[in-house]
Amino acid sequence: MATPILQVKDLQTQFTTHDGVVRAVDGVSFDLYPGESLGIVGESGSGKSVTALSLLRLVPNPGRIVGGQVLFRNDDLLQLSDEEMREIRGRDIAMIFQDPQSSLNPVLRTGFQIAEAMLAHQRSTRSQALRRAVELLRRVRIPAAESRAKDYPHQLSGGMRQRAMIAMGLANAPAIVVADEPTTALDVTVQAQILELLADLNHELGAAVVMITHNMGVVAGLCTRVLVMYAGQIVEQGPVEQIFEDPQHPYTWSLLKSIPRVDAVRHERLRSIEGIAPDLLRPPRGCRFHPRCPFRVEKCFSDDPHLIEVKPDQRAACWVTMDRARAEMGADDLLDIRPGSASGVQAGRLVE
Amino acid sequence: MAATPATVVAAEPIAPAQASLWSDAWRKLRRNRLALGGAVYLTLVVVVALTALVWTPYPMAEVGVGIPYSAPSLQHWLGLDTIGRDVLSRLMVGAQVSLLVGVGTQLVVLAIGVPIGLAAGYFRGVFDQVTTFVINLFYGVPNLLVALILVFLLGPSLTNIIVAIAATGWMDMARLVRGQTLSLRERDFIEASRAAGARPAKILFGHVLPNALGPIIVQATFGVPAAILFEAFMSFLGLGVPPPMPSWGSMAADGITAIRIAANLVIAPAVALSLTLMAFNFVGDGLRDALDPRQRR
Repeated sequence: MATPILQVKDLQTQFTTHDGVVRAVDGVSFDLYPGESLGIVGESGSGKSVTALSLLRLVPNPGRIVGGQVLFRNDDLLQLSDEEMREIRGRDIAMIFQDPQSSLNPVLRTGFQIAEAMLAHQRSTRSQALRRAVELLRRVRIPAAESRAKDYPHQLSGGMRQRAMIAMGLANAPAIVVADEPTTALDVTVQAQILELLADLNHELGAAVVMITHNMGVVAGLCTRVLVMYAGQIVEQGPVEQIFEDPQHPYTWSLLKSIPRVDAVRHERLRSIEGIAPDLLRPPRGCRFHPRCPFRVEKCFSDDPHLIEVKPDQRAACWVTMDRARAEMGADDLLDIRPGSASGVQAGRLVE
Repeated sequence: MAATPATVVAAEPIAPAQASLWSDAWRKLRRNRLALGGAVYLTLVVVVALTALVWTPYPMAEVGVGIPYSAPSLQHWLGLDTIGRDVLSRLMVGAQVSLLVGVGTQLVVLAIGVPIGLAAGYFRGVFDQVTTFVINLFYGVPNLLVALILVFLLGPSLTNIIVAIAATGWMDMARLVRGQTLSLRERDFIEASRAAGARPAKILFGHVLPNALGPIIVQATFGVPAAILFEAFMSFLGLGVPPPMPSWGSMAADGITAIRIAANLVIAPAVALSLTLMAFNFVGDGLRDALDPRQRR
């Protein structure tokens, strides 16, 4: 592939609280290629949103980026001055937020807000910007764009508001669009339309899209590559089809097993993942997933696995991997998904 | 026949026009009789004050246009004061002083209090701590005392009175704006505009301020009568605008010695003052109701 447009290397973002330091993003590295669509999935608290905000240096207090690099066009974004970073935001890297209801200023007209995104960076005149705002609204398929541009946000429907947000994100033709759960606040039919729109724009404009979501279906529909995050770290990454067909990390496997499928064999049980996400104030020793993993072995309790190539293009951070779990532990027929159930390794026995 | 009406219907707008905050507020304000009455009265006062710039029935400073202490008559509608000046003429010029002090003070208060409040609430940090400390410090000191000391030091003049009242008045405004900013800065659209690369000044004046405008307008409207009363009180104490410039407060002070023989000397400025204060308060009240989104009807 071509050279990456964005390279994240060993990103560390921490939140200092009264009880201690929360490592919300702990050593995340990935590359983003021009025009590609990368999904970052994980459950609440896995660090996916904080990763997205770290790219733009918008981590809210008391969060701080304490280490790593974010290389964009040979510049480390983490080393830029505030003013240089402000120029990057919206012009080169745009962000689309989760809730379009609250992400538009209620007292300003929609078209004016989109025009403002342009005026913050370009020396275009106000009337030029307003005209282009209408064009953008048309581009994101808002009907009657001229009159909608004069509407206030509360006069638009939820789907239209998210379209307007996307128009605002595209205002300066950015190289990268970071979308943080852009469909979560919308109902299902509108979600599909917005995803379709994002996919179209990804193709038409060639902007790279980073899609932050907890929804595997969204990833399947839009993305070409996916990162799976768990407890602040990437546990698996690879091409979407490959990950869906043949996940190698037990967490990815469990995540895919827990999605209801229309084409599933009848009476097949829908499985959740046992246990709860770890407390990042005191993350578990060894592999962070071992307290919930049915396939854990002794090594998982003590040693932290690193991302290694498990298949072509596919990397997973696991001592066991699903290939071995299938071959040795009968993962495909596993009904009991309690921690350690397949491998027979329990925490108590280790102490003995 | 069937085809023609169908095209007519299709030409109608599909969605009914929805009201914005301001047009909605204006509609509600028009329904509020007291506020509307207050606004009409204030317009009248402004017209009178402007008229007094070019014409008064008698020159306001001319002594002995009639017999001192005269009761209201056809020549002198509100009578004559202790040294025979026309009370109506002086009342008209006094309206200028009151409006200048009231509105001028609030303009200064807005110019100082709003930026300080915005900056303190948005940037937090040391600047916020210092301003909050200063404001809390002055909360323990009577505003009147500060104003009196300032006028005493600067000397009585219209400008100095405005400065003296605004010197403490900006604090309430800054406190209000800071509070509004504190809650607004956490809203998603502020983060969204930061992510779009907006400059801090743009965020403050383009996004935070428009959302806080309602409470600010109301506070400023209530601040006007407060400042007018303040000026009247200082003039009553003899620290107001220097003579022969009349102020409603100094007119009442002059007339108080003669209240037994010519009560009109006190009553005329007092009534003008009270009505003006009431009018401003009604308008402020109406604005508060009109700009409160929770009272949407």
